[in-house]
Amino acid sequence: MTKPTVASDWLCGCAGCHMSLLDIDERILQVVELVDLRATPITDLKEPDKTGVTVGILEGGINNTYNEEVAKRMRERCKILVALGDCAVFGGVPAMRNFVGVESALQRAYIDAESVDAGGLIPADPELAQMTRVRAVSEIVPVDVFIPGCPPDADVIFYALAELAQGRIPEIKNDKLHWH
Amino acid sequence: MIKLTIDGKQIEVKEGTTVLEAAEQAGVYVPTLCHHPQLTPYGGCRLCMVDVEGARTLQPSCTLPASEGMVVNTKSQKVLDARKFVLTLIFSERNHFCMYCQVSDGDCELQNRAYDEGMTHWDLQPNWTPYEVDASHPFIVLDNNRCILCRRCVRACDELVGNSTLGFEGRGAKSFLVADYGIPPGESTCVSCGTCVQICPTGALIDRQSAYQGKETDVDHHISVCTECSIGCVRDVLTRDNRLVRIEGEWDAEPTHGLLCEFGRFLPLEEDRARVVTPLVRKDGSLKAATWDEALEAIAAGLGAGKGLAALGSTRLPAEALAYFKSLFADKLNADTVTSLEEGGATASLSKLADKLGKSFESSLDVLKATEAVLSLELDLVKDHQVAGFFIKRQLQEGTKLFVAGQEDNALAKNAKGVLPLKPGSEAILLVKLVDAVENGTDDPDLAPVVEALKSAEKPVIVYGKTFAANADEIALDALLKLADLTGAALVGVKGNANSMAAAQLGLEAAFKPENASAAFIILGDEAPTAKLTKALEEVPFVVALSAYESQLTGGADVVLPVAMWAEESGSYLSMDGRLQKAIKSLDAPEGVLTTLETLEKVAGALKAQPDQGWKASLMARIPTIQIQEA
Repeated sequence: MTKPTVASDWLCGCAGCHMSLLDIDERILQVVELVDLRATPITDLKEPDKTGVTVGILEGGINNTYNEEVAKRMRERCKILVALGDCAVFGGVPAMRNFVGVESALQRAYIDAESVDAGGLIPADPELAQMTRVRAVSEIVPVDVFIPGCPPDADVIFYALAELAQGRIPEIKNDKLHWH
Repeated sequence: MIKLTIDGKQIEVKEGTTVLEAAEQAGVYVPTLCHHPQLTPYGGCRLCMVDVEGARTLQPSCTLPASEGMVVNTKSQKVLDARKFVLTLIFSERNHFCMYCQVSDGDCELQNRAYDEGMTHWDLQPNWTPYEVDASHPFIVLDNNRCILCRRCVRACDELVGNSTLGFEGRGAKSFLVADYGIPPGESTCVSCGTCVQICPTGALIDRQSAYQGKETDVDHHISVCTECSIGCVRDVLTRDNRLVRIEGEWDAEPTHGLLCEFGRFLPLEEDRARVVTPLVRKDGSLKAATWDEALEAIAAGLGAGKGLAALGSTRLPAEALAYFKSLFADKLNADTVTSLEEGGATASLSKLADKLGKSFESSLDVLKATEAVLSLELDLVKDHQVAGFFIKRQLQEGTKLFVAGQEDNALAKNAKGVLPLKPGSEAILLVKLVDAVENGTDDPDLAPVVEALKSAEKPVIVYGKTFAANADEIALDALLKLADLTGAALVGVKGNANSMAAAQLGLEAAFKPENASAAFIILGDEAPTAKLTKALEEVPFVVALSAYESQLTGGADVVLPVAMWAEESGSYLSMDGRLQKAIKSLDAPEGVLTTLETLEKVAGALKAQPDQGWKASLMARIPTIQIQEA
């Protein structure tokens, strides 16, 4: 039997959920025994295989058109999509930007900020992704497994990976359910 | 009795029981949010929906009366789905960010309900419309972003406190919690009792003193009696690392079921007086830090005994300390005057009346909770003994008639059906008139409605305060008894401080005459001395003060000993309605500071006196104005 394949990527987050993933310490060897870890943002291969993976993991919310593309690509290429962490599940801290809107957030960051001199300029290169309202991953593509937490506990991540590696859908409840 | 089935369990309940209460009796848990045991069922949040066989839709169990043969299912898929849906709607209606909060775990009922239902996520985004946070109130912050519109606070303010400050403006999702007619809470009619904060299931109403200071699950609880007045509300003192975090009312405890006032809930955390932390002795005209031995020697040398010695103790002290104090000074040192700082003002005339009658004549506070007519004599229950005032105010909308006899500045007067002007000293005139009016009728337009209300009410109450007790003469008191007798009215005396009644039982009721004193021994405990007492002591050649805090009085004393404040000592308190309750130590005193009793024992040792220890027996030695019962 071939091992299930896993790919991950990060969107509008802080990489903390991937840090928490690494926080499973030596248990990662057990995970690697059970699964074939493919593309991740912290390994050489960055994009999930075109031939598809079993499990796709996304950290971070969707805050621009590039995030949308990455989320859609991951959804297309994986059987089970996991939203990892509060930003992917709910929108997270970056979503508080939604209170002020994209324009005033840009204005504050690139023009009004104390560290900006008189020549402040909002980036407008057409090559750049367009900023949007910050959304949860599930607002862009269907999500199969939600693992909230800011970041999720390493133990919860290990449990979820171990379940997924053995072909089961993890149940995040009781002691394993914490939003922060 | 009604028989019904809940989740397959057969149960029999009393008529009028709701399905939610029946479920509780059957041991079946149904989640709720807007429901609170102290409040009338409301049916606002829809979290408690259950499946009733034969019903067209899910039914809110909190408002649904149980009926014969009902078959209820609380765990059908339909119910579980509905709960998640209800919670999703609540989460998305405003801006709830408990997900990103490190310290909210376990503190928020909304969050806990969602955890219970295993909600890893929900499909609707928050509102993303920011609402203003109002921090105009000295103790309370109002944050409509976190409000779930359950109206617990509004109902508590109305049903429990009778203040009706809180209300909602707008409709539907645009309903907002407001004070009065939409003015900042800090400028509103709020009386700062804090019941709304305690009852809020989320963080829409938080108290400034304890908010954002760590998890609520991370504190020590001390269930204790409040020592701020004689009502004796039971409160939970929350501490962390020997620091006061917050004070809450105990919902299940008599006599006030979770109600506190600002004095019991918020003000103890605002304490900013400087502590006395070491004995002080006057040397060469100024107070200097001294060892305990030096201070005790100075007391032994300067205090003397018998003639010229006056001893006064605070009525905020535990009964154990007061009894020991009395035994030491009255029985062992034969001091001229041994009394309390209240000097019996709130109790002496009433204690004397009980002696004369040979029996108790007062009723418990509970009679105020259900009465059709109240006559209040010379007391302002808006200013002090506030919770007793809440009991009256919350019944006014039920039709209870309140009559106020007292000075014009009485704040309860504006809620009254009638006001009888009464100047201190003229109690007898008014009461004799009232008795006459009850017996012979009256044309007096002021008196007639009072008489009518007292006569027609099933259980009228006459409640009086310390001004009345201090000024009423024998004629007034006889008239009071007769009036109660004629109308069947219960008499309620609110007395003074937390242990006013204990002091009365110990006979600490004499007047203090500073001009006759050559030495005075004052136990302030944590009480702030009055200007009158401070001035009076200036005439006394030698003054010893036991005090937790520095004041002008301690500054003028010859020896000062530090003592514990309310949270640092355990002890017994005898409430205004004769309830003997325990205050529990919740903080450690500063290094070297002892409890009042321990400090008195040191003093007794220095004076080579051996006071009696049987405090409870000495408390019971006199006929009380109201039966004493151990709570």
